[in-house]
Amino acid sequence: MMSYYQAYQPIIDFFLLNLGFAYSQQVALRAGVFSVATAGFGALGAYASAILVTRMGISPALAIATATLVGTAVGFLLSVPLARLRGVFQAIATLAFVEVIVSFLYYAEGITGGAIGINNIPRMVSTPALLAAVAAVMYVTWAIGRSGVGRAFDALRQDETVAACLGVSIRNYHALAFVLSGAIGGLFGGLQSLYVFSIEPGQFGFGFMVAILTAIVLGGRGTLIGPVAGCAILALLPEIARPLAENRPLVNGVILIAVIIYLPQGVGDGLLLQWRNRRSARRARAIEEASRAVP
Amino acid sequence: MPSLRLENVSKRFGGLTAVGDVSLTVPEGTITGLIGPNGAGKSTVVNLITGMLKLTEGRIVLGDEDIGEIGPEEVVRKGIARTFQNIRLLPEATVLENVLIGFHRHETASILAGLLNLPSVWREGKALRKQAEALLERFRMSDYADLPAGGLAYGHQRRVEMMRAVASGPDVLLLDEPVAGMNDVEADELGVIFKDLAASGMGLLLIEHNVRFVTKLCPVVHVLNTGRMIASGPAEEVMRDPAVITAYLGKGQA
Ligand SMILES: Nc1ncnc2c1ncn2[C@@H]1O[C@H](COP(=O)(O)OP(=O)(O)OP(=O)(O)O)[C@@H](O)[C@H]1O
Ligand SMILES: [Mg+2]
Repeated sequence: MMSYYQAYQPIIDFFLLNLGFAYSQQVALRAGVFSVATAGFGALGAYASAILVTRMGISPALAIATATLVGTAVGFLLSVPLARLRGVFQAIATLAFVEVIVSFLYYAEGITGGAIGINNIPRMVSTPALLAAVAAVMYVTWAIGRSGVGRAFDALRQDETVAACLGVSIRNYHALAFVLSGAIGGLFGGLQSLYVFSIEPGQFGFGFMVAILTAIVLGGRGTLIGPVAGCAILALLPEIARPLAENRPLVNGVILIAVIIYLPQGVGDGLLLQWRNRRSARRARAIEEASRAVP
Repeated sequence: MPSLRLENVSKRFGGLTAVGDVSLTVPEGTITGLIGPNGAGKSTVVNLITGMLKLTEGRIVLGDEDIGEIGPEEVVRKGIARTFQNIRLLPEATVLENVLIGFHRHETASILAGLLNLPSVWREGKALRKQAEALLERFRMSDYADLPAGGLAYGHQRRVEMMRAVASGPDVLLLDEPVAGMNDVEADELGVIFKDLAASGMGLLLIEHNVRFVTKLCPVVHVLNTGRMIASGPAEEVMRDPAVITAYLGKGQA
């Protein structure tokens, strides 16, 4: 049992890290914000905690808290100029934000170590800490789903005009989505850098962004289980498809296309919706029969 | 409750005057009719009142407050709710969820409490659910509470929209063709509810093509034609007005 766990521990740990980033991505999409800024928040959190720990000897807990705060603050700052943008323009603007962050990390060698990055980071984060962080983020995501915040997010995503006509403040709730996405991204960036020993700017580039976005497209935007499903598929795929290892990008692509065609809401949201629709079709039939029974 | 007043309101789209120099009042406690042929500018009037379109000229006054320049989010907070002619529900949400979002402006639990699922949130959630269920009961939609709104028959979808608007607790309710596509029995069922709402003090503006329905419910009817107000008054009188008859029949005969 123990050796089994040890063999799979890295996979589990990376799954938990990715899951955290996936929730950062999901909360934005859930509110109808097409942001890909999670990579930027993650990078800032990672460098903040790495610098604090390696150069200033600050405790890991405090470093990770600071990383979370940095993500939160940058999330809010980013929301201000982006308030007027929507859809694909939002995506491009947040993409530019990530590019700016990554370029800064390359150029500010004195602070960030440039292309070499920071390499002497002690591992201060282990599975239980990652589990605790994921649990906290899942709790907040679940709480959002039960509250007026979730209702406002869902309304904004489905029809912004209707939401506005019911008094949902587009500006405030979009800002909140950026803040939450930034906080979660910063938190998991901080955790990641105290787990992986070394960080460099390239980790947070286009590949990272696509992987996190893929997890949500695969899993779903609206449900708690969506990111878990998406990240699980991404984590298990290379294991299952080991014989096809050389063609991994091809396998990833085929699976992604299949999901988009057959479960456009993602695996988690899509299956839930199908189950709900089947149940409601039964229910609608029952209502109809009952109304026919009464003369 | 305050009355809504439009004073010399105009809206031009490029060279087209969709609404020209229109004045009308939606007094509290009554249903005011607004009729007119297709393209007369009726929906544009609603879009102007709710701040979805900007006025070209004129004033919109609620009680004694000028609300002509504010946006949709603010307008609903002042106590004005609407339905849409081309039904706009949250398609992925259930009927109950669609109604719950209507209560948004009355929610008091803080955002932080929402993120942490504090007791204040679930207490409020429970209370809102109860109110929503009462509304469903009133509109005879209880059986449909858990069904996805997007899949309902149009008549039921319109009811969901109305419940959502009523949930926001408006002083003035703007209904853009609420019984379109319904038979007389269904329409009259809703007519009773509209009368109830008016009896509670609410002011309703009813846009409708069904003249029989409007005549039954509205003490005062305004007639728009190509953006101009061509007649106002009691329904029977207005329907005898030569200008109104020409506006309606002229289209076919010209
Ligand atoms: N956003 C817009 N941009 C340009 N023109 C518009 C816009 N909205 C309405 N119009 C035009 O203004 C005129 C009035 O349209 P409106 O929708 O208000 O009519 P209506 O009385 O509601 O008609 P119907 O009975 O068909 O609903 C029409 O000529 C329409 O094409
Ligand atoms: Mg119209």
